[in-house]
Amino acid sequence: MIQHASSMWKFRHFLLALVRLDLRQRYRKSVLGVGWSLLNPIAMTVVFTVVFSKVLGAGADPIAYAASVLTGMAVWSFLRDSTLQGCRCFQANEAYIRQSPIPYTVYTLRTAMGQAIHSSLALGVVVTMVAIYQGDPLVLLRLGLVAPGLVLLFLAAWAAATIAAFTTVFFHDTQHLLEVLAQIVFFMTPIMYPRGLLDDKQLGWLVDANPVYWVLELTRTPLLTGHLPAPTMYLAGAGVTVALVGLAAGVVAWLQKRVIFVL
Amino acid sequence: MASIDVTDASVTFTATQSKQVTLKEYLLKGLFRKSVNPQIAIHALSGINLTARDGDRVGIIGHNGAGKTTLLKLLAGIYTPTAGTSRVEGRVCSLFDISVGFENEATGWENIVYRSYLQGESPASLRDKMQEIAEFSELGEFLSIPVKNYSAGMRMRLAFAIATAAQPEVLLVDEVLAVGDMAFQIKAKARMRAMMSVSRLMVVVSHDLNTVRDTCTKVVWMRKGQVVQEGPPAEVVAAYNRDATERAAAARAQAQVGGQAAPVARVA
Repeated sequence: MIQHASSMWKFRHFLLALVRLDLRQRYRKSVLGVGWSLLNPIAMTVVFTVVFSKVLGAGADPIAYAASVLTGMAVWSFLRDSTLQGCRCFQANEAYIRQSPIPYTVYTLRTAMGQAIHSSLALGVVVTMVAIYQGDPLVLLRLGLVAPGLVLLFLAAWAAATIAAFTTVFFHDTQHLLEVLAQIVFFMTPIMYPRGLLDDKQLGWLVDANPVYWVLELTRTPLLTGHLPAPTMYLAGAGVTVALVGLAAGVVAWLQKRVIFVL
Repeated sequence: MASIDVTDASVTFTATQSKQVTLKEYLLKGLFRKSVNPQIAIHALSGINLTARDGDRVGIIGHNGAGKTTLLKLLAGIYTPTAGTSRVEGRVCSLFDISVGFENEATGWENIVYRSYLQGESPASLRDKMQEIAEFSELGEFLSIPVKNYSAGMRMRLAFAIATAAQPEVLLVDEVLAVGDMAFQIKAKARMRAMMSVSRLMVVVSHDLNTVRDTCTKVVWMRKGQVVQEGPPAEVVAAYNRDATERAAAARAQAQVGGQAAPVARVA
């Protein structure tokens, strides 16, 4: 394990150079460039606020609703995209894998880091918009409160990408299965609707049993309320992350020597 | 000190005949009738023993599919032995599959950076080498355009220039000398010779028996994943040549017995 980590550290320059390349590639030949990463959440907020305040007439505070949805979406799409992109990770880096004996987790980290930067921009937009709307620049300080949640979130996404990458090599249908699964989990997680909606229908256990909810809440609660979540929330979120990381470490130890023969 | 210690190493893996596995096949796994897509165990290497120390130049010869490249990849750490052990000490530089593994959308300059980092360079150590790599590749202003616009020859030039810029202690080479045009080949050969003299330990896979005999201190002849003979270059190369001639003669004889003018494979 320690050997694995030190070996990864040795190739940090390689990793960071490729992450930078991926970022540039994402908006290659686009006039707006990184602007798209910012414009997308802004446009979504406008749409949400208009649709939900004017058309559906729900909620007294459309901006708060939009902020909640956008935070949820940013965290959710980070988890989903890291995992789904993780599926193709080893195929995409096959040429490197066949050439150099560097730890495979470098490649899944490449995937997770690329997605993380993209999602951070979206989160930054949400916070800025809330700050502007409330006319309170102190809202920006909430970003500090999010840090522990984001660390756990990132580790969880990296672990999920690693598990997905290894599984796909041995079972090619993984990506399609995960796509279906992601749809189900998305609707089961309180992202588009508040948690209370399910609690009222005695379906609160569905949320409690959902690991995505626990990881999500550690980012959403401090960002929207400005208060740290309860310690039990952190415990639950950390529990989910540790379980995922443990599973990923097990998968790496079990399969890393065999991947090259199957790829 | 650079060293290679391979003890009783085997590499065995399974492969299926076709990549496509149907759901029926997956669930039943040949339960009721013989599988139409059976798993084949491939013994790429079996029971290999090899030791080399500072100053050794090991040549590996054998027919295609004899396991030469697999052995090289085992030494590079890309394959891990499924039985036995393989230990290589020293900074390894491997020259195989070098023309793949470019980031196509990135420029030549950027690819120099990526691949050098992959070989374990740091930003500081690379700074001095960038110019030298660029000059050796002779690609000039082409280095500023994306690699996807390169020809196969240009890719090889760049790959070779990057791969050989390292100062390895252990050099693993898989017949990479067919690089680019005539002028560049001469240059490449000269650099290879220079690298061979600098590196403390070298393992080279080649079909060029003369080169192997002249440059190596020890030759390993492989067949079907096993070592047939190991020893002084002249001796092993001669035995290999004898064997190849005998096989060719036997094949010719068989063709004549069959009464058909079967094409005879020329063996170098």
